[in-house]
Amino acid sequence: MAEVVLSRVRRDFGAVTAVHDLNLAIAEGEFVSLLGPSGCGKTTTLRMLAGLEFPTGGEIRIGGRVVNDVPPAKRDIAMVFQSYALYPHLSVADNIAYPLKKRGVPRAERRPKVERTAELLQLTPLLDRKPRQLSGGQQQRVALGRALVRDPKVFLLDEPLSNLDAKLRIHMRAELVELHQRLGRTMVYVTHDQLEAMTMSDRIAIIDQGRLQQFAPPQEVYHAPANRFVAGFIGTPGMNLIEGTLSQEGGAWCFTAPGLRIAVGQLTDDAQAGPATLGLRPEDVTVGAGPVSGIVRVVEQSGHENIIIVEIAGNERLTLRIPASILPRTGDTVALAPDATHAHVFAAGEAGQRLNTATARPRPQTL
Amino acid sequence: MRFVRRIFFNLAAWAVVLAVAFPLFWMIVTSVKPQFELFRRPPTFLPDTFTLEHYARLLIDTAFLVYFKNSVILATTTTVIVVAIATLGAYSLVRFRYRGRENLAFLVLFTYLLPSVVLLLPLYLMLVRVGLSNTIASLVVAYTTFALPYALWLLRSFMAGIPEDLESAALVDGASRLGAFWDVILPQLLPGIISTALFTFILSWNEYLYALVLVNSDSARPLTTGVVNMLVSAFNIEWSLLMAASVMMSVPLIVVFAFLQSYLTRGFGAGAVKG
Ligand SMILES: Nc1ncnc2c1ncn2[C@@H]1O[C@H](COP(=O)(O)OP(=O)(O)OP(=O)(O)O)[C@@H](O)[C@H]1O
Ligand SMILES: [Mg+2]
Repeated sequence: MAEVVLSRVRRDFGAVTAVHDLNLAIAEGEFVSLLGPSGCGKTTTLRMLAGLEFPTGGEIRIGGRVVNDVPPAKRDIAMVFQSYALYPHLSVADNIAYPLKKRGVPRAERRPKVERTAELLQLTPLLDRKPRQLSGGQQQRVALGRALVRDPKVFLLDEPLSNLDAKLRIHMRAELVELHQRLGRTMVYVTHDQLEAMTMSDRIAIIDQGRLQQFAPPQEVYHAPANRFVAGFIGTPGMNLIEGTLSQEGGAWCFTAPGLRIAVGQLTDDAQAGPATLGLRPEDVTVGAGPVSGIVRVVEQSGHENIIIVEIAGNERLTLRIPASILPRTGDTVALAPDATHAHVFAAGEAGQRLNTATARPRPQTL
Repeated sequence: MRFVRRIFFNLAAWAVVLAVAFPLFWMIVTSVKPQFELFRRPPTFLPDTFTLEHYARLLIDTAFLVYFKNSVILATTTTVIVVAIATLGAYSLVRFRYRGRENLAFLVLFTYLLPSVVLLLPLYLMLVRVGLSNTIASLVVAYTTFALPYALWLLRSFMAGIPEDLESAALVDGASRLGAFWDVILPQLLPGIISTALFTFILSWNEYLYALVLVNSDSARPLTTGVVNMLVSAFNIEWSLLMAASVMMSVPLIVVFAFLQSYLTRGFGAGAVKG
């Protein structure tokens, strides 16, 4: 049993609160990403899970045991550090063997385990080198090897791919996912790269300024963002957020902004007539015909699709993703049709909560 | 033009080297000349007759070996104590957060604000009070007080250069705090420890003033004061013996340097962490 539960976990550094009353229940064998902008408290949370930092409040449980006062060595966890933290004076083989050595595994048993791990990560020819004689990608694999050699209850990974080049990153992403499936261990993965979080995780915990914003599977985070922050944070290009007014006409909710009027469907009981924010993903607006008109300001071609920025009434700019077959020119006037069924509505203000009752898109079917 | 400039620089450099090296050369040459050749005019550059009689006399007829032993004990003990305390102190200053640690680090430097002669008498009186006067231990205490602040600062900067993640990794990998310190911090700190040890050893090996004041029994005298006391009197300076003694005093330092220098360079290489 290796579920990880954080209840009202808090960490203050003097006047700064890095983590605010964080509640998170991670199931056994789950791959969970902690995602958020720089400085939001991801590393602090991970270090608290590892026992390297002590919570100023709350409770952390691993496998049912409260570990608040348990030192790192006794938590049966492995961690990959953002900086790799390889021991510079030890060879690759000794680096990987170190956790075994510290746990009293006899020398004769260490050797085969290290060799098996090295094989898994294609490190066999490098076993006698020192860390400084390795490339960034190789160092990263050694750091991973040091974590994998021991089969701990929980893996903690702090932006392990952030120092790799794009190609190697995609490769290692797939390797990690496969590894997780094979080992079936609980993994907590810290990243500020939403693509990594979206592609690898079972669930994503989105954190902003030390507060949990949403904890849900990638599809749900994308299609039903819990609030304005998540809506703006997830997706590239980001969701278009338009300030306007919500009103009720004959039992149906309607959102109005200059030059724009959309029937937004079912909303929760929290919805009130008055100021609100409308969210439209770039792909949820069709170009060509429709009630909204705008002027094309920027056109970016990326091969399989085009990204355009259109200015509508009230100086509002919308970023739209359109098929490569449609190529307007800057200055053109175009007609737009926002897809009302995929429109998101948030309460007014920076922290506005989601007001839609339904998910914008159904979960994809499994084959 | 460039050629001329290069020649000029080379000449200047060699002149400096010569100015530094010549006394050393003269010291060695004098120590192997027989007594009668010393004051001959014109002086002989290389000895006409080569002799080791001064060395033999020094080793057999005088207390030189006692002083030598005292100096070895003195310098080694001081070095071990200073390095041990400074390493732990630096670790504490860098790794633990507590109130006033920056002030503490500056406070230890205050000893260097006062000329050492000013501290001499109070220290002497204190050492007499605790019953350490006239012992090697009194010098160990005195030298520790000079060397420790600098050693602490030197090691603190080395320690600050060791990424904290390294230690965290060791803790997660199953090491205790002490285990992590031993397995990870110490090897990284080796170049710093060697520099500190060299500094402290040389300081305690060469110190004269405190040794002169704090110790005046032959059984506890170190080399510096011992040799001068034995060979320099108001009427006569035994030049040959003095030079032979000087050569033998320099040997340990040269050996220590030669041995540790290779360590130093190797240590620096091993400490390199890829950013
Ligand atoms: N030792 C510390 N002392 C004081 N403040 C700290 C300390 N460690 C972290 N903080 C603060 O806590 C907040 C969260 O830091 P943390 O390192 O967890 O961010 P992060 O989400 O990992 O960011 P990044 O993506 O840049 O790594 C930051 O505002 C940071 O300044
Ligand atoms: Mg971080």
